[in-house]
Parts: sequence; structure tokens; C-alpha cells
Amino acid sequence: MSLLAVEDLTKEFGGLRALDGLSVSVDRGDLVGVMGPNGAGKTTLFNCVSGIVRPDGGAVTFDGTDVTGNSPEALARAGMIRTFQLTRELRTMTVRDNVRLAATDQPGERTLPALLRTDAMESREREVDERADELIEAFELAHLADEYSANLSGGQRKLLELARALMLDPELLLLDEPFAGVNPTLTRDIADRIRELNSEGMTVVVIEHELETLTDLVDRLVVLQQGQLLVDGSPETVLDDERVVEAYLGG
Amino acid sequence: MSVVDRLPGGEGERAALIGGACVLMAALFALTPLVVALPSALYVFFEVAILYAVYGLLVLGLNLQYGHTGLINFGHVVFFAAGGYTVAMLSAQNPFAGIGLGYPWVAALVAGVLVAALLGALVGATSLRLRDDFLAIATLATAEIFHTLFVNFRGIFGGNVGLSGIPQPIAALATDGDTTLLATLLFFGGCVAFTFAAVRRLTDAPYGRVLRAVRADELVARSLGKSAFSYKMQAFVYGAALAGLGGGLFALYSGAVAPGFFTLQVTVTVWIGMLLGGAGSHRGVLAGLAIIMGLRLLSRFALDVTPVSASAFASIRLIVIGMILVAIVRYRPAGIWGNAEELGVDS
Repeated sequence: MSLLAVEDLTKEFGGLRALDGLSVSVDRGDLVGVMGPNGAGKTTLFNCVSGIVRPDGGAVTFDGTDVTGNSPEALARAGMIRTFQLTRELRTMTVRDNVRLAATDQPGERTLPALLRTDAMESREREVDERADELIEAFELAHLADEYSANLSGGQRKLLELARALMLDPELLLLDEPFAGVNPTLTRDIADRIRELNSEGMTVVVIEHELETLTDLVDRLVVLQQGQLLVDGSPETVLDDERVVEAYLGG
Repeated sequence: MSVVDRLPGGEGERAALIGGACVLMAALFALTPLVVALPSALYVFFEVAILYAVYGLLVLGLNLQYGHTGLINFGHVVFFAAGGYTVAMLSAQNPFAGIGLGYPWVAALVAGVLVAALLGALVGATSLRLRDDFLAIATLATAEIFHTLFVNFRGIFGGNVGLSGIPQPIAALATDGDTTLLATLLFFGGCVAFTFAAVRRLTDAPYGRVLRAVRADELVARSLGKSAFSYKMQAFVYGAALAGLGGGLFALYSGAVAPGFFTLQVTVTVWIGMLLGGAGSHRGVLAGLAIIMGLRLLSRFALDVTPVSASAFASIRLIVIGMILVAIVRYRPAGIWGNAEELGVDS
């Protein structure tokens, strides 16, 4: 059964149809790439799926439940986490706090346990600290843990955002251009991590411009054009498809 | 190492301890025949210090709203007034004009806090989902609307004269005026210390982390599963409730409320105090408020030695305060004790 299914999704901005009856589904355990020329509707698709914008029509189903128009916080709690094309690290917080923030089920995020400093809050916070430090270590940010994230480089921000997303242990991870503006070494590094997460069972959808990295990484490619599905298939078949070549070179 | 550093726990715990000591001492002076005699030259200091404690509750609430959650509340005085007027209308006996129901003051004080919180929830429900600047406008407008209501509805709020005949519990318990003054200051100081301890705990906990995330980037907080609206609402209502508590205590101390106590000036004072001290730092905002109120006190004495008229002097004072604000924004945008990186400002 598919983990995420999008059916006949439509979104207009003014007169522009960013999504035009798009249907696509992602199975549990998939590693799917979404590509397409500028303005094809890739980010709008993510925004509609993750609840940031409300689609004008169509349905989004996550894990068998209709989640169309649900709030981003509800979707995040349900296990769907996204990252942003332009990294959105919390600049005024330290790297460590950025990652800790994402922790789930922390009773200390409610007023009374926070005021009373309950045992439940303290023990959960110890687990959170440990897990956050693990992730920070794994993403080679340990030396920057107490640095405010505004001071990180572009690549480090990408890593931080990934680490923060993983803190939630998502079922479905939506990555919006994780390699944009990242140097080749780091690109390989991030790609390896994504593959590793996927092999551990996490379902991952990646938007990317850069064809080579994406085709090497994913099992399946979805190509969008003008808000519609152009081609859906294995990287080899997609790259050989004339329509794709045309969309990229002719568009 | 000072004595204070050897006390248990962090800053919040020490503040709670100090608060407890203050309240106990206040009780000692209020409930026993013990009396103090204050030199009359000190009266003015005591009066300003009591007002400082009341405003301290306001600034701690405002700091929770702005310093931690990023909410711009330009109408903080309305929650202060809501607390004051609620206490007055419920507890006053035979006010000169307006409503006075003569209920026990404890119930009135509780109601004052609740009414301020409710008003906060109402303003929040209408404005917190909108962009930041809408809240600023909505709060400013609410404060002006209520100010006009207080002035014009004489039968309810007593008009410009306000409401008098509010019980003064500490004065009723203490033996004489000097002792009342000292006991009031100690009790209010204790309330500020307890409030400090509470907000400190709240913001040190994971709760505060979420507030700061909402301030930094609401969408990220939401994408990580935190309901930004709910946190903004909570911070806003808590700040309003604290202002309501301040208003209620103030009414029970002065025995009267009038529109003149609840002007835009109050909002401006706590804002400047907060920005001067450094938004986000509980200690900083209290210190900033102390500086700004200290300056005002100092200027009272300066008036006696300057060769200008009282009205000209009042204008000069405003100019000086305005210039201080400009200087902070220009040269130290994070305030004296504020953390520039945490506030995201260049300094």
C-alpha cells in the first residue's frame, strides 16, 4: 500500500496553474526523485502535501488517511517531515537547540510540567539531549553545537536541517533540493546519508535540479512539467525518454 | 563567591527564595504590632519603588511576549487597566461615581487576573493568526478604545475621576502609614521575585525553546510539529494575566483607579525599559526598567535645580527618554544585557 498518495491535485496562484491535476503515489520504503524544469510545480507539490499551502482541488492521503489541508504541525506529528529549498535554520538558536527543538513527546513543552519541572520532563530531556548529540555528531556538527546557526556555512545549514528532521524519526522525509549550493564532496556525503536512511526503511522523496546526483541516488524518478506528470519510472527509462530531454533542453 | 551563589538551584530558585523571604517580612510588618519609622525624605523613593515593582510584573509579561515569542504588544497598559478596574469595580465600597460592588478583595484580585487574561485571549484570537504588525495595531487600538471607555462611561467606570473606595488590605493590617509603605514594597517585591522565578523556569524549560523557535521562524516550528498559534496564544495570555495582576495589586495599594494611571505612558515606559535592558533576558528587562524609572526619579530632583518651568522640564524629560531609545536602537540594538545573537540583531 502506498504511504503517500496524491490524487488530482490542483493549485492556482492568480492565473497560474502551479499544479494541474497531478496524481502520484509513493510506496513505503521508496526513494523517489522529483524533477522538472523551473516552475514545473515541484515545490508547490511539497507545499501542498506538507500542509503549508492548501490545494484548490484534489486529495492527499498519508498512511491511509486523508490529510488534505491538514496543518503542517499535524502532519509533522503524524510522521511527515519536510526540509526547505532555502534552508530555514533557526538563526537565533544554537545548533544544539535547533536539533533538540524537534523532539517529540516532550511534556516540558506544556506550561505546567515546565513550571513544576516534572521528572517526566527531566528524563525525556535527558533522552532528547542524548539523541540530539548523537545526530549532531553523526552530521559532523559537533564542534559547532553551541554556535548560533546564523554563523553556519550553507552546507552546514543543509546538514543541520537534515539532522533536525531526523530528530523526529519521520516515516516520510520530503527533501526540497538538499544539494542546492552544496559542494561536490558534501553532495556525495548527503546522498550517502539519504541512501542509508532509505535502506534503514525510511521513505524519502527528493526534489532536485541536478540530474546526475538524483539519477544516481533514487530508484524511481517522477518528472513534472507545468504542474502535470510528464514521466514516472526508473532513472534509466526516464532519462531516455524524449519528452524529458525536450522539457529540459527545449524548455 | 557571594552568599547568593551558594544558595541552591539556579537564578529562578534563588528568586523564589528571595520572594518567599520578602513576603514573610511583609507579613511580619503587616500582621504584628511591629512598626518602622521612615525618614520623610525617603517616601518618594518608596513610592517609586512600589510602582517599579508593579511595572516589573508588566515588563516580565511583556518580555515573555516580545522577548521570547516575538509578539509585538503596543497595548500592554490595557491589561494592566483591566486588572485594576476589575478589582476596583468588584471590591470598591461606595465609590464616588461608577460601579462598586463591595466584594472581598481576594476574589476581586483573582477576577482581575482572569479578566485581563480573557481580554488577552480575545485580542489574541482575533490578531495572532495574522502578521506580526496586525497584533501591534490591534493591541494599540484596544488600549485606546478602553481608555476612551473609562473616561466616557462615568456611570460604570467613574469617568475621569475614576473609582475610589477600593479596600487597601495592607494599610488595614499594618499599624501606621510608614509600616504600610514598607510592607507593601516587600510584598510587591516578593510578587515580582515569584513571577521572575516562574517565567525563568518556563523559558529555561523545553517550553521556552518552542517560544524562541516561534519567534525565530514560525513555519519551521510548525513543520517540526509545534503548534505556533497555541504557543503565541499562551505567551500572550500569560503576559496579559501578569499585567492584570499588576493592575489589581496597584488598585489595592492606591485605593483608587483613574484613567490617568493607565495611559500610553505606561506601555512606553515598560517597552523602553525592556529594550534598554535587553529583550529576552528576564534580569535585563527588570534592570532596564529600573534605569528608566530611576532616571525619572532623578529628574524630579533635577527640576528643583534647573532654571526652566515645570512644563518645559516635562518636555525635556520626554526628549531625553526618546533620545535614550534612539541611542539604544542605533548603538546597542540588543539592549544592555541582551544577547545580540539570540535576538538576531547586529551590534
